[in-house]
Amino acid sequence: MTPGWLLLIAGGGLVAGIFSAFKSPRVWLAATLAGAGAGFSVAVWMLAGGATWDWRPGFILGVEELHLQLDGVGAFFLILLSILGGAATLYSSEYWSDKNHPASAPPGRAWWNGMLLNMGFVLLCANGLHFLIVWEIFTVCAYFLVTRERQRRAARAAGWLYLAASHVAMIFLFAFFALLAARTGSWELGPMRDHPGLAPLFWLALVGFGIKAGIFPLHIWLPSAHANAPSHVSAIMSGMAIKMGIYGLVRFTGWLPVPDSAGWVVAALGVVSAVLGVAFALGQHDLKRLLAYHSVENIGIILIGLGFAMIAAAHGNAAWGQLALAGALLHVWNHGLFKALLFLGSGSILHATGTREMSRLGGLWRAMPWTASLFALGATAIAGLPPLNGFVSEWLVYLGLFDAVSAHGTAAFAAIFAAVALGITGALALTCFVKVCGVVFLGLPRTEIAAHVHECGWRMRLPMLALGAACAAIGLAPVLFWPALATAAAAWQPALINANALPSAPLVTLGAFHLALAALAVLAAAFLWQRVRQNGVSRAGTWDCGYAAPTPRMQYTAGSFAGIITGWFDWILRPQRHAHLPKGNFPAHADFAEHTPETVLEKVVEPAGALVLRASLAVRHLQHGRVQSYVFYLLLGLAALAILAVMGGAK
Amino acid sequence: MMTALDIFLRLAAWLLLAPLLPGLINKVKAWVAGRRGPPVLQLYFDLAKLWRKGVVLSTAVSPAHIIGPAVAWIAILAAALLLPVGPAGAALSFRGDALLFVYLLAFARFSIALAALDTGSAFEGMGVAREVSYAVLAEAAIITALLTLCVQSGSVSLATMLAPAAGAGAALLAAGLFGVLLAENCRVPFDDPNTHLELTMVHEAMVLDHSGPPLAAILHGAALKLLLFAVLLTEAVLPLGKLSLLQAIGALGAAVLVIAVAVGLVESLLARLAFRRVPLLLTTAFLFCLFALLVAWKGATP
Repeated sequence: MTPGWLLLIAGGGLVAGIFSAFKSPRVWLAATLAGAGAGFSVAVWMLAGGATWDWRPGFILGVEELHLQLDGVGAFFLILLSILGGAATLYSSEYWSDKNHPASAPPGRAWWNGMLLNMGFVLLCANGLHFLIVWEIFTVCAYFLVTRERQRRAARAAGWLYLAASHVAMIFLFAFFALLAARTGSWELGPMRDHPGLAPLFWLALVGFGIKAGIFPLHIWLPSAHANAPSHVSAIMSGMAIKMGIYGLVRFTGWLPVPDSAGWVVAALGVVSAVLGVAFALGQHDLKRLLAYHSVENIGIILIGLGFAMIAAAHGNAAWGQLALAGALLHVWNHGLFKALLFLGSGSILHATGTREMSRLGGLWRAMPWTASLFALGATAIAGLPPLNGFVSEWLVYLGLFDAVSAHGTAAFAAIFAAVALGITGALALTCFVKVCGVVFLGLPRTEIAAHVHECGWRMRLPMLALGAACAAIGLAPVLFWPALATAAAAWQPALINANALPSAPLVTLGAFHLALAALAVLAAAFLWQRVRQNGVSRAGTWDCGYAAPTPRMQYTAGSFAGIITGWFDWILRPQRHAHLPKGNFPAHADFAEHTPETVLEKVVEPAGALVLRASLAVRHLQHGRVQSYVFYLLLGLAALAILAVMGGAK
Repeated sequence: MMTALDIFLRLAAWLLLAPLLPGLINKVKAWVAGRRGPPVLQLYFDLAKLWRKGVVLSTAVSPAHIIGPAVAWIAILAAALLLPVGPAGAALSFRGDALLFVYLLAFARFSIALAALDTGSAFEGMGVAREVSYAVLAEAAIITALLTLCVQSGSVSLATMLAPAAGAGAALLAAGLFGVLLAENCRVPFDDPNTHLELTMVHEAMVLDHSGPPLAAILHGAALKLLLFAVLLTEAVLPLGKLSLLQAIGALGAAVLVIAVAVGLVESLLARLAFRRVPLLLTTAFLFCLFALLVAWKGATP
């Protein structure tokens, strides 16, 4: 069995899934899981061996010769794709079943497999033209998945916005690959760092891949698409699809020369995305929209690491850059795992309650203990807290930044800024997830719908359990994953980074510490629990300062909880507040509502779009149906051409 | 064997000495106010009493209400093991442990916050919202302080970072860290540990519904955290790593005593700030740390 055969099984499984999607959900499930399993094994094989699989069958596909390649970077992303694809596939077999969605589930399964298959091909393609084709197919498949609930206006609008943004990205990618092909004379992709003339193309790639990745000002499509897609689709989009943008950036910053300022710009965009992403997340009341903004935050953390790796690569290949790169790559995995876990958890909440509005929930832990504990695990991980995986990757990025500071080089000042921003981001993310867990799972049910809920079935629970276990494994034994990281980092720029000589981080000690911390925490909790039982427990209502008739509606809501911090970020969040204050001695009615708009979309993109539309309307007056004027236009045009020909000095 | 004994002795010292600090602060406050005040060992009596008491649990709470304080206590204890004690170093020291230290304290905050929100009370919600929001600024300040120490020592390990003196920026760093100490440990002027009005509390509002052994874990954890910050502040400023063990321990004890008196004096002489001013004061602490960083930078570049 060679990598090629395994990949064939993976692709074959996914294709078989497409064909069985309409007829037999069971065959679809088995085929897709088999495909994911084969993809996982081949990726592990490539990462463990460190070799590159390269396949040129010599036949022409759409004027270009087919060329597939799987190296360390590709395999690193392929592992994540296989795990998330497999987990979300199993989850969707219950979450979006034929019973609940008879019309939309079967085509959804076909689009799903189409998307997974083409994301896999993106990671394999070593030809620019084929890369563009499979990129476009995966983008379009994702559109049909986002709009599974076409009957809802919000889902249609979200899909439309996603499609528009993706095609703006596509224009930039067309320009990038076409200019690349024009300058190198071939669509073949591969390391070409010895062509300094290619450097300016980086900016095209940054915008094109940046829109897909959801970097801060370019993220406009992301919140509504992630919120309105079915939850297994949100999980794969947030966990994997936006990582394809990161894949593009990692790949082409590794293969192509970049301008001198590229690393600084990427790091700066990372800082902006991290801090503002989490600030916007705090302003959200919709659970899935909040999680979507956390994707922007985590993409920011990844970009900080990647940006500093690029700066280091441009300034004498300092060791701290390699640590930052390792942190960024590990964060790609980590964010994929815990964000998919959180989206699947939000899906089972949505499944049970039918609402994404956090302030209508509360006290869900009673009926949904599995979802609640796994969601809390994911929340601890995404807040970057030890002993879970989020901390390990942030810690590696921090180590890179601190080493950059103590090296006193050109990057030191930027590293100080980035480290402080990373600290603030971490604390804000902690605040946000305290809010989510507290408002959704703890306390008392705020409405009737939250009072009558049910736990999800095992086919939804099992994938969450697997993702949670993966988060814990990377947190407790990070050193096991270091070889994979080293292989991927070395494949980024093989000339620069040697997989065996990566600066070491004391991951063994950190892992042991995490393991001890986890064990002691469990022990201490059990001990305290025992002590409480032994001392005797009496039950009473929550003490509300002596208030005689407390109601669940008096609990802090998502908005009131985040109020202090959203106040600090008023300048960018621009929250809209509607208040009717109590008046008179016996006030009868008072209410207060706060809503955070999509500032970039509503305040920048939409006004700009309106301006373009207005200009187009003005131009439309030229088109009025009077033949005389058209003849006049023709004459004008001819005259202009004649002048051009004369002025141009025709020889 | 020696390592195990070493860790055991350190743990015993941290655990046993921690409740002394709040007692000292209260004594100073009583002394300034002309009262006799509670005995210095009052917290020990309180903890022993709470540990034996039964528990009143709200009907709303989940297991997180009890798990949270236990996990937070362990996290603070783990942070204590990373903090070096003069020339004796830390029980466990490795590259990057400074960041683990900060994040362990954040983990403790996370656990307590969830345990508090568990009660579904608006007061707990209020307290948690304030605590985690102010912690954002405190975290920025403490990361900046760590960067200062990193610039001075060229290391990311607490044992090496805290060994030398803070140099020219010592006063600035001390001022910044003292602000962080007051904020993170819920002292005046950020919070009033003695207030009896729930609407104005931060930390105390978070633990209103805790009782018995879980409350004991919270109170002991809070005392331990205060001691941690006092030791961190002392070692960041004084070159304890360069002294002999006995001298270092003497100096450390004296400095912690000075900090306790300072906290007591601040608490007696200042009123609690209005909530909207708290972020300003925390930003000031952050700026102190930032200026200390700039001074250290200037001193470190040849």
